[in-house]
Amino acid sequence: MQKGEYWNPILETLPREKLQQLQFKKFKEIFTWAYDKSRFYRKLYKDAGLEPGDIKKFEDIRKVPKIEKAMLRSVQGRGKEPFPYGEILCVPIEEVTDYRQTSGTTGQPVYQADTAQDWELSTEAMCYALYAQGYRNTDRIFLPFGYNIFIAFWAYHYAGEKLGCEVIPGGVLDTSARILKMKELKATAMGATPTYVLGMADTARKMGINPPTDLYIRRITVAGEPGGNIPATRKRMEEAWGAKVYDQVGSTEIGHWGWDCIEQSGLHVNEAFYLVEIEDVDTGEPITEPGRRGKMVVTNLNRMAQPCIRFDVKDIIQWNSQPCDCGRTFRLLKGGIMGRSDDITKVKGVLLSPTAIEEVVRSIPELGDEYYVTVTKKGDIDDISIKVEIRPECGKDEATIRSILTDQLRLKTNLGYNIECCPFGSLPRSQAKTRRFQDMRPH
Amino acid sequence: MIQQYDIKAMVAKIRALRRNAEALKEISGGIQTVDRNADRILAGVKMLEINVNDVAGLLKAAK
Repeated sequence: MQKGEYWNPILETLPREKLQQLQFKKFKEIFTWAYDKSRFYRKLYKDAGLEPGDIKKFEDIRKVPKIEKAMLRSVQGRGKEPFPYGEILCVPIEEVTDYRQTSGTTGQPVYQADTAQDWELSTEAMCYALYAQGYRNTDRIFLPFGYNIFIAFWAYHYAGEKLGCEVIPGGVLDTSARILKMKELKATAMGATPTYVLGMADTARKMGINPPTDLYIRRITVAGEPGGNIPATRKRMEEAWGAKVYDQVGSTEIGHWGWDCIEQSGLHVNEAFYLVEIEDVDTGEPITEPGRRGKMVVTNLNRMAQPCIRFDVKDIIQWNSQPCDCGRTFRLLKGGIMGRSDDITKVKGVLLSPTAIEEVVRSIPELGDEYYVTVTKKGDIDDISIKVEIRPECGKDEATIRSILTDQLRLKTNLGYNIECCPFGSLPRSQAKTRRFQDMRPH
Repeated sequence: MIQQYDIKAMVAKIRALRRNAEALKEISGGIQTVDRNADRILAGVKMLEINVNDVAGLLKAAK
């Protein structure tokens, strides 16, 4: 792939002022659509004293009430018509062709309806990502994932097809069988969670297969966890596979809004399809300048059946001050998703982001890929523990590694940890999203 | 970069695609394969509109 190749050069190189004009035009359209077609949105906006004619300039977008996951859940489910989507739905139920749901880890899942057109939109958004990451019709993609009721990797499959790639669904196979199939078919690309990408490489080595030399994978797209934009984790994955690793982010409610390009300079926001705003976590004031962290509020500018308008995702992000060398005018997020506002928490009075712990663990080569962190309370005092695995062939004794880990954690997070070294391979591995941070303090 | 594309001509062709697909549905007599395949085509046409037509009006340099 060469620089200057775009899925859509018209939108991807659109001057910034035109891009903002496009976003404003589209925002007004989706706002009006939702106001007219969804009882949920109409009530929300009427209660705020807003109607479509009130959105006169770009800054007026901030007057529009935000939505949160809990609000969506409250109008969906049993007894809510049209079942199960409830009053959010903007089209007759007969026009819905695709069902997905969120994982429900924070409560009842959100049910997501798509029409055929909406699903085509999800696919199209993912095409921007894959093309920017160098996927072409010469690629043979292997998907080591059993796609199911959740959104994960469905769009990757469809977008791969749309790009003209050959797509191999590796869903029901176990990890060893997937590795053998990838080898047999000389797959050149794959998509998985960072945890599974690392776990597969471990399994391959145990099978006597060295991924960089014995397999043909040259690009990997990761999603579902923040690892793709954590430098130490990305480095591990790239070394383990001898492949370039690119991040891709999105969600059931929003779609596929951000991705790395081949420059790996950070996440591009597809600003022709999505409006991403950043707000101060405490005050809610807009953050437009680079380098200042805040929480993301996002609008899908084209999704019709179940619109996503000013969704408070609670992910922490910041704009990058530099444009990308790829020539796209879509802005970059520095460091990808930096955590969730829900997850960033005070421990012993110190603000802690779980991604900072991952950066430390994955930067110590003697440690395995897995780790788990638990915060508890002993009396009135916070207590933080971390379980790690030491690689058996690492050549250093446990005391030395403990000392390195203690120092690095102290340096990067300003906290002292109880460290438990577990036998290599004993911590659980997962194909799906892995939550490695548990705050068990009473709130 | 945008100047090198004949956006105006693309817009016209995309509009024609929509007109034709919608006209096909009108004369389908309810034949499911015609209606459903036309719907699939219209979903694709919508992507063309999002990618080209929706921005065309904002481009002064569009031919």
